[in-house]
Amino acid sequence: MGSSNRKKNEKAKDFKKAKLRVGKAKPQASNFTDTSFKSKAIVVNQQSLSGTAPDPVEQFKHNLSLASSSRSDSQRKDALAYLTSQLSAKPPNNPVGTSAILTKLLPLVSDSYTSVRGQLLKLFRALPPAEVCPDVEKALMYVRAGMTHLSPEIRTDTLNVLEWLLDIAGDEVVSCPGGWMKTLNSFSAMLGWNPSIGNATGSKGWTTASKATLGATKGGNAQARQIQILARFLQTGFKPDSQLVHNPQAFWDSIYRVPRRPNPFAYLNLFGPARDEEGEMYPDRESRQRVFFSRWNKAITKGLEEAKKEGGAVGRAAATLDQTLKEGMGDYKGEPEARAV
Amino acid sequence: MKRKVAALEKVDADLVSLQYKIRRDPKSYAQEFYDQYLAYDAQKQIFLSAPTTASAEDVKNFHDLVDMIAHVADCYPEMSGQFAEDLKALITQHHATLDPELREKVVGSLALIKRKEIIDSTSLLTTLFPILVSTPSKTLRALLFQRILSDLREANSKSINHRLNRTIQTVLHNLVTSDKTSAKAIWAVKLTRELWKRQIWTDAKPVDVMKEACLADNEKVVVGGVRFFLGGDKEREELEDDESDAEAVDLKKVAHQVGINKKSKKREKAYKKAVEKVHRQEKKKNAPHPLNFSALHLLHDPQGFAEQLFQKHLQNTKAKLTLEHKLLVLQLVTRLVGLHKLTVISLYSWFTKYLTPKQANVTSFLASLAQGTHNLVPPDALEPLIVKIANEFVSEAAASEVAAAGINAIREICVRQPLAMNETLLQDLVQYRKSKDKGVMMAAKGLLSLYREVGADLLKKRDRGKDATIGLRTGELKNRKFGEEEVGGIEGLELLAKWKEEEKKRKREAKEANGEGKEGEDSEEEEEDDEWEVASLESGDSGGWINVSDDEDQAPPLKKARTDSEAPALVEEKTEEDREAELKRITELATTAILTPADLAKLQELRLQAKLDQAMGNRSNKHSKALAARHTDDGLTAEQIELPAKLRKSTKEERIAMAKEGKPERGEHKSTQAIRRSKKDAEGKSTTNKEKARKKNFLMTIGKAKAKNKRSLVETRRVLKGHIERSKRGGKRGNIGC
Repeated sequence: MGSSNRKKNEKAKDFKKAKLRVGKAKPQASNFTDTSFKSKAIVVNQQSLSGTAPDPVEQFKHNLSLASSSRSDSQRKDALAYLTSQLSAKPPNNPVGTSAILTKLLPLVSDSYTSVRGQLLKLFRALPPAEVCPDVEKALMYVRAGMTHLSPEIRTDTLNVLEWLLDIAGDEVVSCPGGWMKTLNSFSAMLGWNPSIGNATGSKGWTTASKATLGATKGGNAQARQIQILARFLQTGFKPDSQLVHNPQAFWDSIYRVPRRPNPFAYLNLFGPARDEEGEMYPDRESRQRVFFSRWNKAITKGLEEAKKEGGAVGRAAATLDQTLKEGMGDYKGEPEARAV
Repeated sequence: MKRKVAALEKVDADLVSLQYKIRRDPKSYAQEFYDQYLAYDAQKQIFLSAPTTASAEDVKNFHDLVDMIAHVADCYPEMSGQFAEDLKALITQHHATLDPELREKVVGSLALIKRKEIIDSTSLLTTLFPILVSTPSKTLRALLFQRILSDLREANSKSINHRLNRTIQTVLHNLVTSDKTSAKAIWAVKLTRELWKRQIWTDAKPVDVMKEACLADNEKVVVGGVRFFLGGDKEREELEDDESDAEAVDLKKVAHQVGINKKSKKREKAYKKAVEKVHRQEKKKNAPHPLNFSALHLLHDPQGFAEQLFQKHLQNTKAKLTLEHKLLVLQLVTRLVGLHKLTVISLYSWFTKYLTPKQANVTSFLASLAQGTHNLVPPDALEPLIVKIANEFVSEAAASEVAAAGINAIREICVRQPLAMNETLLQDLVQYRKSKDKGVMMAAKGLLSLYREVGADLLKKRDRGKDATIGLRTGELKNRKFGEEEVGGIEGLELLAKWKEEEKKRKREAKEANGEGKEGEDSEEEEEDDEWEVASLESGDSGGWINVSDDEDQAPPLKKARTDSEAPALVEEKTEEDREAELKRITELATTAILTPADLAKLQELRLQAKLDQAMGNRSNKHSKALAARHTDDGLTAEQIELPAKLRKSTKEERIAMAKEGKPERGEHKSTQAIRRSKKDAEGKSTTNKEKARKKNFLMTIGKAKAKNKRSLVETRRVLKGHIERSKRGGKRGNIGC
């Protein structure tokens, strides 16, 4: 009996309202969790506590690291804007060097935010062209990665980067290792003008698999732009080699002077892994023509015919490309044995 | 048409969804795959241009692309032909600097494309194994080891992949033998041991790998190899037991559930799976027992191995093994010597310097010595050791544990080679049976009883005991000479013959009792048929003969003598001729009839029964039972030498703790009842009926108490009867079924 009374009381206690008393703290709820904590030090991320203003070099470096590794897109964009302003100041303020900037920022080519990519392009355009030339090969790798990215926006924006590269260092772009063949590969993937797909999937017949592409042949402006850039690329590739002005010292220079170009013996490929056909460098016009003819001529011509029929922006771009091809490949005689095959 | 295509194109930039789509329809998405393959190629180049300083972003992109391509590579074998080679080159060249997550992904992708049969096991394993051996990263090693192991298991799951096994075993063998000083061979040891444990490798080649590991210069490798020989087979057996104990599927229950529950494909599948599992278990049960030889038996040239081991790690003063590891090696050497009856004479003189009570782990040395003794060891080699043990360990001045250990060790040696004992020493040692210490007393008694069986003439006349004296007089108890072997026979065959005779008699009687009852005859015939069927079915496998050969070794001469001498009266009555006739009759069974596997199984059963009877009836203490159960293949351990020292099983503290266990805490001074009550309250349990009755309000009970006083005799009787009946029935409602 007694025990049941007690239990009743205990149960009833739960529903009683606790009395508030003057001068006493409010009783804590039964499910109260103590969340207070003690710490010997507080570390605030990304906050400078120094009293003096940070020196510009440090600030530049800090912004560079922010631009390359910050998780927030607006922070990345702001940092890029800051860097751009520093680089385009007169005289440009660049304590780390163009190469270091490129190394840090090239991964942003395939950044997922449009604003960041736009700002990045502005920054690139602010870089001194002469200093970009040695890093073209690396930049092209990122460009190729961007050109085959899943998202069409990134593909389009990457083309802008490629255009910039063609503007400032066209010769290096088409002649560096992998610069010609691999970039053409990426173009063909982008445009969907690919001769090897049909074979790969095993459809050997006259029908073609339905194209469920993610934006390769979207038509309209995007494709027109792609064709346009391809035309520019080919134009650069097929540009007649400039006639060297006769330099009576050239012979002696090549023997006794330290070469002025970075990595002058790149064509020997002394230190890198062995290159295959695609990764090989094609330093002169003729070799580029040859490999273009053997690998891409057919596919591109076929794609071109289709594009020309579309009319509009695509058609116009295709016409430009056609013109480029005619000019570039017009004087190419081809190799007799290759034709025979 | 165009709209449809447009709808298909509405895809978010997500590799996972692309992968899913490619899986669904590889042909339509070839272009996308090609794009991504190019992207992968570009990322690979970016990555390879600076593998150590690649940014986190790049690494993540590359990681995702590798993952995607590995998952769908089998759809486009032509486009992704280079992929496997790329991955292999990547992990081989850059495993030390790769980002851990990416590294893991590359290894996983390789395993994945192996599962998709783009590459074969051999190429996968030959890629991963060198990395396992050389990488400094612990996590990668763990991952690779696990991968390699699972791949090997998988490759051997359906049928044994001899080719692959041979390749890998050769790789391991080369690894162990190529550089004897390097610790890399430890991986060969680990891998071999694991595969041995899982019975994937059961032949002589892995044993050979382990043998080479034992003879390496690196201590870790040596210990790994030695431990394998000492424990690998036990591990294997244990694992097998575990597996066979695995949960049995109750097919009836599953079928019932299927009948009741809503029908769904999932349930149907579950039922099918259960049926399959039961079938598999049945098949497994009926399958012939695989011939699993222990690693020690599969050794090629054990003599050479034992000698090399001994010379390299024990006799060589420059060998720098720690004592613990030295003991392991010693255990292996002596196990080999004892098991294969090898002759390594220098081993015994080597023991001399370790046989002092001050030596650390001396009981292990003693156990090893006893283990390394067998009946073909020259007594001259053992006698000085026995004398030394007696001098060092067994004296009045020595502690009782020491003396007991010494006598035990001597007994264990003499069980194996009785000729190593001389008369005076034995008579001295036997005197210790009067010792006040129980351990010493038991040890000495053990020695005495041993020599009553194997060498009674060494004992004083009054110590010989009745059986031995009679045995000596009748000439039945003979000492075996050095090198003399027991006349071979099949142990327990007489038991089988006896059993068969009894069975025959029983059947005949049954027949007579039944008269011409057809039923009896039929069933009998059936029975016979059954037996034969069992026998003929299983006669194909050769499972039986191992048991026989095993137990032939095991047959201890002392036990035989015992069984005979159990009935001395009978023995005396029997004449010599009778016994010879008996022997003939017994061997006749072996020479005239073919023992079917069923017979052999029965034989084994009878043998076990006989052994059990002997152990139960004659010597009922635990020690002797353990002795009887011991297998010759099992080694002797230090515990067995120390055994009597541990007669008092627990220390005082342990006993006190045991007594206190389960009793309430005495910290607070309360009654036991109160403590129990509070404990129950804490557990949220109610009170007992008794307690409730005790607590009941007095005023509530008083009415009944008064009424009780006024009852008539008849009423009282009825109540009492009712009480008795209730208690019989088990309460008011009664227990159902009683």
